[in-house]
Amino acid sequence: MTDEKPSEAEKPEEKKAEAAKPEAAKPADAAKPADAAKPAAPAAAAPKPAAKAPEPVIPATAGKFEQFLKEHGIPSERLPLSLTIETIAVSGDVLQSALRLLRNSSEVQLDLLLTVSGVESNDTFDSVYHLWSYSNLDELVIKVLVKKSDVPEGDLPAVPSIANFWSAANWHERETYDLMGIRYANHPYMRRILNPWDWEGYPLRRDYKQLVDSLNDKNPHSMR
Amino acid sequence: MSQGNMSTSAKPNTNPVVPEEIRDSVSISSIDFMIDALGQMLSPVLSPVANLARSNSVWPMTFGTSCCAIEMISVGMSAFDISRFGSEVFRATPRQADMIITAGTITRKMAPALITLYEQMPEPKYVIAMGACTITGGMFNDSYSVVQGVDRIIPVDVFLPGCPPRPEGILDALLKLQQKIRTENYADRRKKLYAQTSVRKVDYDTGRPLEDLIGVVQEDTNAALSSGQEAIGDVAKGISPKAEEAKTVATKPVAPKVEVAKPEVTSPEAKKVENTKDEAAEKADDKSV
Amino acid sequence: MATEIQEIDLKTDEMIINMGPQHPATHGVLRLLLTLDGETVKHTEPVLGHLHRGQEWQGQNRTWFQYQALIDRVDYLSGMFTSWAMARACEEIDGTVVPPRAEYLRVMVSEMNRITSHLLWLGTYLIDLGAMFGFPFYPFREREKLFDLFEEIAGQRMMFNYIRIGGVVRDPKPEWLDKLKRFLDEFPDRIDEYETIVTQNPIFLKRTKDVGILTQAVAKDYGVTGPCIRSSGIPLDLRRTKPYSVYPELKFDVITFDKEGDTWDRYMARILEMRQSIEIIRQCIDKLPSGDIMGKKQMAGMRIKAGEGFSAVESPRGILGCYVISGGGEKALRFRWRNPSFCNLAILPELLKGCPLSDIMAIFGSIDVILPDVDR
Ligand code: SF4
Repeated sequence: MTDEKPSEAEKPEEKKAEAAKPEAAKPADAAKPADAAKPAAPAAAAPKPAAKAPEPVIPATAGKFEQFLKEHGIPSERLPLSLTIETIAVSGDVLQSALRLLRNSSEVQLDLLLTVSGVESNDTFDSVYHLWSYSNLDELVIKVLVKKSDVPEGDLPAVPSIANFWSAANWHERETYDLMGIRYANHPYMRRILNPWDWEGYPLRRDYKQLVDSLNDKNPHSMR
Repeated sequence: MSQGNMSTSAKPNTNPVVPEEIRDSVSISSIDFMIDALGQMLSPVLSPVANLARSNSVWPMTFGTSCCAIEMISVGMSAFDISRFGSEVFRATPRQADMIITAGTITRKMAPALITLYEQMPEPKYVIAMGACTITGGMFNDSYSVVQGVDRIIPVDVFLPGCPPRPEGILDALLKLQQKIRTENYADRRKKLYAQTSVRKVDYDTGRPLEDLIGVVQEDTNAALSSGQEAIGDVAKGISPKAEEAKTVATKPVAPKVEVAKPEVTSPEAKKVENTKDEAAEKADDKSV
Repeated sequence: MATEIQEIDLKTDEMIINMGPQHPATHGVLRLLLTLDGETVKHTEPVLGHLHRGQEWQGQNRTWFQYQALIDRVDYLSGMFTSWAMARACEEIDGTVVPPRAEYLRVMVSEMNRITSHLLWLGTYLIDLGAMFGFPFYPFREREKLFDLFEEIAGQRMMFNYIRIGGVVRDPKPEWLDKLKRFLDEFPDRIDEYETIVTQNPIFLKRTKDVGILTQAVAKDYGVTGPCIRSSGIPLDLRRTKPYSVYPELKFDVITFDKEGDTWDRYMARILEMRQSIEIIRQCIDKLPSGDIMGKKQMAGMRIKAGEGFSAVESPRGILGCYVISGGGEKALRFRWRNPSFCNLAILPELLKGCPLSDIMAIFGSIDVILPDVDR
């Protein structure tokens, strides 16, 4: 059982992303996330059902925020990635308005931005926002997926910044830019935060090549 | 510091070698030679006494970057009590410290600061490399931003392994250092002075070693030169003297830089810091003779 | 007219000074670029990353088994919590069931760890405020006792590697529990001792009262968590508001102050938290069930099922989150830490605006940041 996993290791993510795509065409139906999970489960996520079996596949709050966003005219799609937390994908254009809405409306009040993280998947760069609330138990994960094929050669994937109206995002976005190389458009101070300012490359990317010099010559790229 | 730097030569009657960078700020008088000679004569008598005093009052600097620093604080507190060995006076400024315990990982961004601190300490100064991180990079050895051992940037006297070392380990390292100080000859130590202070090898802005950057600069200028020559040649073939001028101007700043770097190039590659230092000092002596 | 002239006379040029990265009171290597007008701070820019060791990069390049030994170094003052956050995230993905005894032990050691963390904070904070000699010895005395207990149960004084994916690694002996009980009996008196020296000390009050006031709006905007925000009157304590592990079965209240918190409130919040932790540990010892302590086989080639999970624990500094994406292999595809220090430090420029130079360390110390937790 365990031996089979490495071969499947890369697949589930890939196929999940693919499985999520067809829904984008029909966002109206996507309100029922049970449908969303189905195409992914039998075909791709072979190791997952075993884990899911004892728990309800879809949590009770399924699609709550998706529904809420749809009512306010913001399209989003549900990603069948996590068992317990609702995960939705929105496009970069509506990210600001979606987050503003989720934060300020008295119904939802997702006003605690935990992190902004950058993730490199097989064919996308994701900017991931973990939203919690100071006053209730809701949680939500929002992803903005930027296809690698859409990124121009020699350029960075761009996502609109939310640091202008949410100070918590400021440093997180700088860090994601520093380590993952996602550029946040209209960020007030888009500089590297952890590495020196003139560092080359984005260390968490898969194609990153480490610097080999007299300070650090025993690393994976030192051709030893 | 300049006082220390003056007397690189052990032989009082010859012209001492003053390194090129500090030549304009250092003057050498005959009194220095006399003091030197006197020191050499008396050192067999004075050294043991002075060393005993020095070894029992090694004042460390509060230099802690990460986890190991917490154990360094613990050793100063009542349970372990470093003051039994005369080192309880943690100094916040390098000017008043004899020893630096490099407690915690040194990263590329921090390396220049550490070198500055080390250079600001007055002679005689000692280094205890505390923890796996400062010996080899430790747990973060192959990480992109970590310096793989402080001995790549400053000379180290005692290596103290552990992650983090127990406070007793720190005390042990201190005792080892005290032993080393007791067996030292003061005149011998002065010989090594210059070699020990010339360790600036990391650029402040980029966090990259200077020798690499010099290589880059050379390549850049070479490239610029060749392309510039072509360009000038293409545009106006008649004005060749100007091209030559440009060439000399461009090469001039590069050449001295390489010379300056030379004494530094020997030390980073050398793992056994002290040995190379002896050699360097000897070489310097040879030249002067 | 006269007042105008005075004002003109007092106006000074702005000056930018650099503080750090090597400064005795920055608890590590933080660099602050301060813009001063006379003695008043106009603007602060923290320069981070002097301790950036690539922890997230390590997460992608180490196996699960190797990485769980490493992450104690993310926040070395509260290593139990980092291990716990990672373990919970992985268990969530993997569907591992943690035995109840292990859960109780986790709560116990974490609360002990919370006490050591706050004790170190107390000692160093007083050093920051100028109580260089004398007082710091008190909290460190108790800290050593707890470290002895940790050493007995985990084998290390600071880097425990005790909470693992699926449970805990070693079962304490009954004598260990006795020792812990003895410590808990004497510790409240010790806290009283600290309080007699510090709490109503006029110098301490002058340095901390009404200094560095954190308003709720600012705190929410920056995503501040932990004692900092509870002392500003927002009752966000994950152990209560979003209970995990066995916290629902334990009795305790969220400590909040019903006003805008200043530096003194943050000090008091931590003192009260230490007292609260004692009670929690006592309850755990009473309720400790017998049974297994590990729900997943620990071995070098350990694997976690594919999926992604986010888990958070209430660390001494705030919400410590861990976002894991697993591809089902021996290594993670992505590890992402949500560090409370990183988020809390972001309010420093807000708090320092307009305060005198001498208050910088009082305010900075009261946020209780740990630099490896900021820089990773
Ligand atoms: S050696 Fe270990 S304890 Fe010391 S700084 Fe490095 S990781 Fe931390």
